[in-house]
Amino acid sequence: MEMKVIEHATCTFCGCVCDDIELHADETRIHQAKRACVLGKAWFLNHTAEHKYPDALIDGRPATVDEAIEAAADHLYNADMPLVYGMSNTTCEAQKECVEMADLLCGLVDSHTSL
Amino acid sequence: MGGKVTCTLGEVKNRADFIVYWGGNPAECHPRHFTKYTLMQKSKFLPRGRKDRTVVMVDIRETKSVKAADIFLQVRPGKDFELMTILRAMVKDQEVSDEQIAETGLTREQLTDLIARMKGARFGVMFFGMGLSMTRGKHMNSAALLTLAAEMNAFTKFVAMPMRGHGNVTGADVIMRWQTGYPFGISFNRGYPRYNPGEFSTVDVLVRGDTDCAFIIGADPGATMPQPAIDHLAKIPTIVLDPHVTHTSRLARVHITTAPAGIAAPGTGYRMDEIPMPLRPALESPYPSDEEVVRRIKEAIAAKPDWMGQQPQMLLSQI
Ligand code: SF4
Repeated sequence: MEMKVIEHATCTFCGCVCDDIELHADETRIHQAKRACVLGKAWFLNHTAEHKYPDALIDGRPATVDEAIEAAADHLYNADMPLVYGMSNTTCEAQKECVEMADLLCGLVDSHTSL
Repeated sequence: MGGKVTCTLGEVKNRADFIVYWGGNPAECHPRHFTKYTLMQKSKFLPRGRKDRTVVMVDIRETKSVKAADIFLQVRPGKDFELMTILRAMVKDQEVSDEQIAETGLTREQLTDLIARMKGARFGVMFFGMGLSMTRGKHMNSAALLTLAAEMNAFTKFVAMPMRGHGNVTGADVIMRWQTGYPFGISFNRGYPRYNPGEFSTVDVLVRGDTDCAFIIGADPGATMPQPAIDHLAKIPTIVLDPHVTHTSRLARVHITTAPAGIAAPGTGYRMDEIPMPLRPALESPYPSDEEVVRRIKEAIAAKPDWMGQQPQMLLSQI
């Protein structure tokens, strides 16, 4: 099978954010993460591109992403004091969208830092 | 940088000849911190690498990291703030009684020696971890350590840096600071951002039952938060975005599976010294990215009428 090599990949498992990782990957999973530490290796090797989980769940039942987005928007819109929380394992681009959404909702926004 | 007296890890790597880890366990939590930035690296200013550096560990117990240190100071649990206050006084040659020192679990000799070394350093850095910022005193501890670092600059170059944990928490701080002026614990309920940890921080909000809908992204409070907070999450409509079906997803009304950041989703992540790093995903996920899903939810909300019945909402239609 053809292996793709990604040089200078970035590990986001801990705050060191090492950016010198060499990844060897095929279509579905990463087989090697050179220079990563034990934690980083586990992080890279445990994620796959398989369709393991349903796209979305509404009240525990599988649903499409479109339906789930509508349902989420309805819940947030109908709330008096919605809360946006977390944002640790995600990108800055998504974080910015979160803050903008909280602003639009006149709600609360908070991260892991406050724990 | 939020007012901290700090620097980048590159400066630490090249210049720091005196390194303190306070309440952190890098050997197990940040495994490459020693080798990449602090202990092992040789540089123009520290040509002999490890031999040119002094490493001090301050902790309540002997962690695995202690083996790598030159000096280990075992502080009595919950006495970090007292110890830092005493250090701040002794650095300025103020009187401290023996009882006060005894309370911290250390001796006067240990502290005088530490201060002599701190003042004698060419470039000192203090890293502090959750053992300091999450125990008794919390953010007051962090503030005391940052003040100690700032005050040390009367004698020599000294900086402090938090050892940030999981994923992109640093990024969340930076983005919220950029967008609102505050790092976390923010409320927009008056239409402009207000900051008040304790009032607007998530655990408190949930335990008091002050929210009626929760949107959780890149976190699993269902596994980490105190039980009353989790009970409230189960009571209200909760929405979860995560690459896995998590504990929180199981008690949520809506779960959307997203691509894991850095592995199958591109973007930016912040290192603990607030340096942004581009992510280079190796896989292509069958799921959409967090960014895309949040943007679409936001747009769906913006398309609804606002509280005055304007449609769509003013704010986004102006952009
Ligand atoms: S490789 Fe290890 S030290 Fe580097 S970011 Fe990943 S988990 Fe942290």
